[in-house]
Amino acid sequence: MLSDFSLKFQAEEQPERPLWRAIQSTEILHFVRSLLLAYDVIGVQKKRGRLVLDSLQDAADLVLEFPPAVHSPKKFLFPHWDQLFRFKLDENILLEAETAAPPRIIFGMHPCDLHAVKILDDCLFEGETDSSYRAKREATLLIGVDCTPDEFCFCTSLGTDRIAEGFDLFLHKRDGHYLIQTGSERGRKLLQDHAPETYDGPEESPLPLQVKQCDNKIKFPFESLPNLLEDAYDDKIWQELGHRCLGCGSCTLLCPTCYCFNVQDKLEISMQEGQRIRTWDSCQFDQFAQVANGNNFRSSQADRQRHRFFRKYKYLWEKHQRTACVGCGRCRRECLSEIEPVTVLNQMFADSPQPAETRPGSEYQPQMAQIIDVEQLSEKDRLFRLRLPQSIDFTPGSFMQISVFGLGEAPFSIASAPDGGNEIELMVRKAGTLTQALHRSRKGDSIGLRGPFGSGYPLASMHGKDLLLVAGGRGLLAIRSLLQAALADRHNFGRITLLCGARDIEALVFPEDLLDWHRSELLDCRIAVKDPDNSWGIPSLDISYLFKDLDIDPQRTIAAVSGPPEMYRQVNPLLFRMGLAEENLYLNLERHMKCGLGKCGKCQINNIYVCECGPIFPYSAIKHLGEAIER
Amino acid sequence: MKIELDYLTRIEGHGHLIVERDGDKIVNCRLQVVETPRFFEAMLQGRHISDVSTIVARVCGVCSISHTLVSLKTMEKALQIEVPPQAQLLRRLLSYGETAQSHLLHLYFMALPDHLGVPSLFKLLDSKQELVARALRLKRTANRICEVVGGRSIHPVTTCLGGFSARPEASELKKLRQELVATLPDLEATVELFASFEFPAFNRQRNALCLAPENDYPLSSDNLLSSNHERFPVTSHHQRIEEYISPDSTAKLARCEGDCYMVGPQARLRNGQQKLSPMAAKVATALSLEQTTLNPFENLKARLVEVIHCIEEALHCIDELLLRGMGRVVTPNIPSLAGEATAAIEAPRGTLFHSYRFNTQGIIEEANCIIPTAQNLASIEEDFKRLLPQLLDLSAADIQHKLEMLVRAYDPCLSCSTH
Amino acid sequence: MKMKVGLFDFAGCEGCQLTVMNLEDQLLQVLQHIELVEFRELMTETAEQIDIAFVEGSICRPGDRQRLKQIRQRSKVLVALGSCADNGGVNALGSDRTPEVLRQQVYANDLPHLYTETPQPLSAVVKVDYRVPGCPIDGQEFLAILQALLLQQQPELPAFAVCVECKLAEYPCSFDYGQVCLGPVTRAGCRAICIDGGGHCRGCRGLIDNPRTSPYHRILEQHGLTVEEILDQYRTFNVSEKAP
Ligand SMILES: Cc1cc2nc3c(=O)[nH]c(=O)nc-3n(C[C@H](O)[C@H](O)[C@H](O)COP(=O)(O)OP(=O)(O)OC[C@H]3O[C@@H](n4cnc5c(N)ncnc54)[C@H](O)[C@@H]3O)c2cc1C
Ligand code: SF4
Ligand code: SF4
Ligand code: SF4
Ligand code: SF4
Ligand code: SF4
Ligand code: FES
Repeated sequence: MLSDFSLKFQAEEQPERPLWRAIQSTEILHFVRSLLLAYDVIGVQKKRGRLVLDSLQDAADLVLEFPPAVHSPKKFLFPHWDQLFRFKLDENILLEAETAAPPRIIFGMHPCDLHAVKILDDCLFEGETDSSYRAKREATLLIGVDCTPDEFCFCTSLGTDRIAEGFDLFLHKRDGHYLIQTGSERGRKLLQDHAPETYDGPEESPLPLQVKQCDNKIKFPFESLPNLLEDAYDDKIWQELGHRCLGCGSCTLLCPTCYCFNVQDKLEISMQEGQRIRTWDSCQFDQFAQVANGNNFRSSQADRQRHRFFRKYKYLWEKHQRTACVGCGRCRRECLSEIEPVTVLNQMFADSPQPAETRPGSEYQPQMAQIIDVEQLSEKDRLFRLRLPQSIDFTPGSFMQISVFGLGEAPFSIASAPDGGNEIELMVRKAGTLTQALHRSRKGDSIGLRGPFGSGYPLASMHGKDLLLVAGGRGLLAIRSLLQAALADRHNFGRITLLCGARDIEALVFPEDLLDWHRSELLDCRIAVKDPDNSWGIPSLDISYLFKDLDIDPQRTIAAVSGPPEMYRQVNPLLFRMGLAEENLYLNLERHMKCGLGKCGKCQINNIYVCECGPIFPYSAIKHLGEAIER
Repeated sequence: MKIELDYLTRIEGHGHLIVERDGDKIVNCRLQVVETPRFFEAMLQGRHISDVSTIVARVCGVCSISHTLVSLKTMEKALQIEVPPQAQLLRRLLSYGETAQSHLLHLYFMALPDHLGVPSLFKLLDSKQELVARALRLKRTANRICEVVGGRSIHPVTTCLGGFSARPEASELKKLRQELVATLPDLEATVELFASFEFPAFNRQRNALCLAPENDYPLSSDNLLSSNHERFPVTSHHQRIEEYISPDSTAKLARCEGDCYMVGPQARLRNGQQKLSPMAAKVATALSLEQTTLNPFENLKARLVEVIHCIEEALHCIDELLLRGMGRVVTPNIPSLAGEATAAIEAPRGTLFHSYRFNTQGIIEEANCIIPTAQNLASIEEDFKRLLPQLLDLSAADIQHKLEMLVRAYDPCLSCSTH
Repeated sequence: MKMKVGLFDFAGCEGCQLTVMNLEDQLLQVLQHIELVEFRELMTETAEQIDIAFVEGSICRPGDRQRLKQIRQRSKVLVALGSCADNGGVNALGSDRTPEVLRQQVYANDLPHLYTETPQPLSAVVKVDYRVPGCPIDGQEFLAILQALLLQQQPELPAFAVCVECKLAEYPCSFDYGQVCLGPVTRAGCRAICIDGGGHCRGCRGLIDNPRTSPYHRILEQHGLTVEEILDQYRTFNVSEKAP
């Protein structure tokens, strides 16, 4: 967005409403001739068989109907060779910066080019205004003209095939003549001064926005581009492009919105004076991302191609809420390797997981999993080992929906660690109909499963840290998954401490595992039971006692607390008192869940769907949600 | 006494001068060409005809245009490709540019220091600023012709089989024309300067050979003409001209009917004086260049006359091109034919022959080039023998200097001769 | 003190030295800042000590090697001038045959004074500090490199390919009319002069540091070239640079 900056002419009074006038081709010719007397008129001309944007010498050379020319108006608004200032060498004198730009008219800007100028405005007026660009921008009048798309254009997929403002004048092609529309006060004056007869002509009725037809199309709504790329950072397509791309940079040099540049000093032959100039650079060149020690943080062509696409369709979008590609097709037209954005994006889209593109309702249909082992943990608790038809990937803390046909579905935490295989463990505590029915299932039976759902603990970001795991009751299920994963990768973590509390011995979920962990050298495992029956020989303790002689380094500790809300209310203040940061505390929120898809609204707390965003949350993300921990 | 001068300076390429004298007798007197053989004729074997002119251009930086043009001409002859008139005019213009720049480089930078008593023109940077500046200005204009037409002053990029792959805009030609006209005062000053020099008297009867001045001053023809009034077709040159190897030279030498002969500006002037441009003819008269016996030292004057001829003819070429209107570039199709041909052109230093044979795939099977300097080498040695007895009274240093001047007067291009 | 500059030559066409001469008025200005101390083609003077030596041509004979080593000894900085000096250039075209075979083909004779070895770039014999690529060199690039050296800077060559200059100048791509072009793998700096001349790039400035050869070869194959023909493309100016 143009922040608080506006160009000199934009501050001027806008015409009350656009004028619309009919203009004949011969009148256009006279108009251009008259302009040539006062301005440097840039227009599309044929040179060596190509359509080239250049200074007009003769009004008759101006072409008005054309597919995109080789270079875009960037050639004049943000030129390849742009002097920033002049200097004198031996006296260290800085000569005046040259910001004066010749009064110019670019006659023949397609809607996509006009959109591209908006993108340049976004980027170059943001923060510290680029004064050299600004000078040119202010001294240049833009006259738009309807375009003739060719097979590489895809502006229609990006909404850049039409434009309602951002020009001084616009020529719309009609049968045998044109309609000229004013877009600014400058444009109105220009018409008045240089085409007075047209200006004084009868008023014409305004045209609706002109919509084009391009055969080259993006096969999905362009608004989903940032999200599509979000998930495509490691897509194999970058490698593929990396193998095909020559790194020649033509795509970016010709792109109307690429403006990355290099700054160099050029000395005069006298070696007394010189100029600091800027020249176009390209993210496709080897040395673009090279730093002093020779390291290159984008070392492969695949990296460079990815950067190009991300910048166009994600980074700049997120910054300015506008696609940084206007679909002019220049990058493809001149690419020897025929790398084409539309093909790339469509392929990426086809390869991305397609949500529910299959049969209607299939997102609610479970797949069948086989019970390969059942273990009775206690009277109420049974552990099921299940085999799925394909491997399953999840983060510790995610959950599955178990279906028993006739009885319905219920959510269950995955109690085992992700290991890349197709088996998981789920613990079912008898509660009501469905859980009891499950307890009756035998090894070899099949049950329905959907999932995994939710987002769990960010394991990779815990690398190198100490883990403090606090579990109460069934909360141990998610913690077990996390702990098993950490133990499988023990060297990546510092100290691991597990504090486990329960109402009574019966409520301790994995007694055998707890004993093993208690004896293990790999972690420090402490248990507190409020109301023990003495068969374990442990004193009657509340979980808060376990914190009494706890010695943690709050700077390098990540805590995962998982249990009922009353436990959070009790434990969280203890942790914060020890100096733990809010973003280093993860809680597990259990809510009533049905769909698991962020749709049914059952799990919603304030504005968050726990099934999607949780059930594992950093405290900092939910502390402001009244419904999270408070009742 | 023994004079041994390693690496003669102010000539193109590498050569040594050796003179040994025993009392009044010269026992040894040689110009050794020690330029490294580069084997272009062998390197061309196996290359496609579309690459040939680009490669042979690199035989010599000074006369790359002549090599390019004669090689194209040879292949076009073999393939019977008709070169359109516009392209013929442009090629002619290109040749004029090359000859003028080569001659000016020689006159000012290689020969002039001898007459002004300095080791190089750069010595005069401060004392004779205007002279140095004029030299560079003149050279610039001559090079501009090559740049405008050939795309680059050395190793042209616009020439191709059948004509040109790019042609100058009319506006560029007009600008060039103005620049050429603007050099006339500088040319006048140059004539004055060179008219003031004394040249050693050293005339001897010799056979001088060049392309026949058929419609105009020798440049491009299918026939040769000798000062003995013999006219014969270029294609039969091998019946008279014979290449041979000398233990003193890495360049192959040449003789015509068993005898040494001279090629180059003096030879052209000798056989084609009547075809000089009006201005050049006047200068030739003013410099009294009408004699029939030839003094190689006066090659300088002949070169100057040719510079004027080239500039004047270049103006006519431009006028004709502009009059006809600059048409589109048409490059004819190259037929897939086997072929064999010889052609010649007048390069700045004399007649340059190329012969090729290639197969139906357009791959060169045999190539041969006869270079002007190689044809002059025997003449230079012969001149040594005749001149030395006249110099015996001089000091060794003076003898050496006279001989160096003699060698330079031929403007030999040794890198070219040992291609 | 003005820097002492010398120009030297070995086997080549002298076109690179001539390009320096052809700088004409610019040369005149440069001569205000340097002292030209040795330049055999145009000067008789010689010098003991040289600050910057520009050396043209390839090394083909034992005598060449000696002379080059002497130049190196006398010079603080040595710069290879042109392809011949930089990578063997067009001279290396014959390196698919032995010098004996070449001698037989051209002279049908093996006299001792005709002895040569396979042409080598300067760097095969002495340390080369910097290089000015091209056949011939580009005069403006030469000036920029000389300027940098006079100011004790590290001269830099463009690391990108000729295509960049071709696109900037909006020349039609020679692939579009069926001419194979070495531009995508060749170091820029010549302003794509051959494409401007209606031709294609033959790679006279040598390969870029990181030529993307496999995509490039794929493009050539799409234009109907065989592997042998692809390698042949590199063979005018890039023989001694291993055809990738
Ligand atoms: C994210 C999450 C993970 C869970 N993980 C496990 C687990 O690993 N092991 C385990 O034994 N239990 C787990 N539960 C609880 C389990 O889903 C319920 O015990 C189960 O749904 C009871 O179903 P029922 O038909 O047997 O009992 P019902 O008779 O239907 O209900 C008994 C009790 O369970 C509650 N309940 C019913 N349906 C749900 C539901 N969809 N979501 C939440 N609570 C419900 C009821 O409010 C009631 O208090 C988890 C719950 C959630 C939300
Ligand atoms: S134009 Fe094509 S080959 Fe060149 S850098 Fe861009 S994508 Fe790669
Ligand atoms: S990325 Fe390609 S299609 Fe998009 S604006 Fe740039 S050049 Fe045009
Ligand atoms: S690089 Fe080319 S121009 Fe330079 S000397 Fe060698 S052949 Fe001649
Ligand atoms: S002509 Fe050659 S240098 Fe120019 S873009 Fe095409 S491939 Fe690249
Ligand atoms: S275009 Fe290629 S062959 Fe021509 S000068 Fe440039 S690098 Fe050399
Ligand atoms: S379970 Fe349906 S919205 Fe979360």
